Amino acid sequence: MSRTATEPRESPLLPQSDAREAALLFVVAALCFLAALTALSARSSYSAAAEWTNAVEGELTVRLRGVDARAAEDAATLITQMEGVETARLIPRQEAAQMLAPWFGSDGLPAGLPVPVLVEVTTLAGTPNVAGDLSSRLADAGFDARIDDHARWGQDVRRALGTARLAAFAIVALLVATAIAVIAFATHAALLARRDIVNVLHLSGAPDPYIANLFERRFWLLGLRGGSIGAAAALGVAALLIFVLGSSAERTWLLPRLSLDFWDFVILLLTPIIAGFSARIAARRTVIRELARTI
Amino acid sequence: MIVTMTRHSPDRNDAASVRFDRVGLRYDSSEEVLSDLTFELKQGAFAFLTGASGAGKTSLLRLIYLALRPTTGEVYLFGQRVSQLRRAQLSALRRRVGIVFQDFRLLEHLSAYENVALPLRVQGQKETSYRADVEDLLQWVGLGERLHARPETLSGGEQQRVAIARALVGKPDLLIADEPTGNVDPEMGGRLMRLFSELNKRLGASVLIATHDLGLIEGSNTPVLRLQNGLLVRDSKEGVQ
Repeated sequence: MSRTATEPRESPLLPQSDAREAALLFVVAALCFLAALTALSARSSYSAAAEWTNAVEGELTVRLRGVDARAAEDAATLITQMEGVETARLIPRQEAAQMLAPWFGSDGLPAGLPVPVLVEVTTLAGTPNVAGDLSSRLADAGFDARIDDHARWGQDVRRALGTARLAAFAIVALLVATAIAVIAFATHAALLARRDIVNVLHLSGAPDPYIANLFERRFWLLGLRGGSIGAAAALGVAALLIFVLGSSAERTWLLPRLSLDFWDFVILLLTPIIAGFSARIAARRTVIRELARTI
Repeated sequence: MIVTMTRHSPDRNDAASVRFDRVGLRYDSSEEVLSDLTFELKQGAFAFLTGASGAGKTSLLRLIYLALRPTTGEVYLFGQRVSQLRRAQLSALRRRVGIVFQDFRLLEHLSAYENVALPLRVQGQKETSYRADVEDLLQWVGLGERLHARPETLSGGEQQRVAIARALVGKPDLLIADEPTGNVDPEMGGRLMRLFSELNKRLGASVLIATHDLGLIEGSNTPVLRLQNGLLVRDSKEGVQ
């Protein structure tokens, strides 16, 4: 009898993947794509908004009405001398015109437009009620002034962001749970479809963990592949969004600046690993539970 | 006497390969398919199990190869009370039993060689450690030139011999064959019986063959367990070796 020592002899004990697994791969990839994109979007929006709120929380804007240039200078000086104020800067009319350019165009403001005098104030961190004190002092000095405390906007934004972040977590958790449920269902179907193989293995003395491991490995790889495809697609879409928003920055200046940083790549790298582990655990639990019904 | 049908105390531990103590079996809420079976098959015995279709032969074999639990009574395998064993212990016990299924149950995506090697593979043995044994065994059953053939390309008789080789490869202490001559011609049936006999003599394994082929039984002096409507009835050849 001839023996060919180098010839490969061991085929996988489970047959190669079939059409069902191709469909499952698509579902896992789609779920991973949605989960990764949700996580990336949530993180990007949160980072951008947090950056914005950090920037504005130490700022106030004082609007002065009915003042000439000299009175405006006096008001700015008065503000600078107050406790809790770090800097106070008069915003020139030209700069105000640039801020209003999206509405009035780049040719400047109409001559008769009553633009209030604006003073940009930065406050020292930890000083309470600077806006209230400022309002009283300016009123006492005879100025008609209105104070915009940016911290109020920052708090609202932070509250909204907290809710959005919770919603993003819930969506990602729901997508992961859906993926696990789909994989458990698919494992069950695969187990039923291969009951003859499982039965022969079982009666040949294969312990439950050995049989479960065959399915675990199969679905671990499927999860990894699906997760990788989903993560790659999410990266592609995110890159496209960054490019599109970056190339039309003038018209999208109100939207947060998007970018991919280290933690975004961590999310993308974790996606296939989480998908693989989820698939593996779902497969193991399903197989062990099914085998427990046999003697 | 190799096959006895005497009743034993349940806690008695002896060298019997198989011992049934007042075993009954029913599927779900249906009527009992096996009733009050008490017998033992000693280590090294060779016996037939016979009865008309539907008498319960396959159900009895399934109890022996641990595919079913009895509804009543106790099954002992190699002196161990099956109902008291954990799942891992049951797996270990199954490795001591070789089964030739009536429908062969070869895995279609594996070659003849891989099908035969399956019981050793699930035990975690390395391919290099069993390759020669598996090839020799396939040679012994006349399939030395069909190592890499898939089951679908083999004839019924060849598939049966692969199934037999798979049952033998782990050198089982007990070999169970369900209608092993049911799908082959008389000449092949005779060859298979000689194969089982040789296994029994060479390896000392107990052999239990379920068949309704009376010609096979009449031609030998082998003890017979006869099932009738789920009950075990004494056979005229009882005690004859």
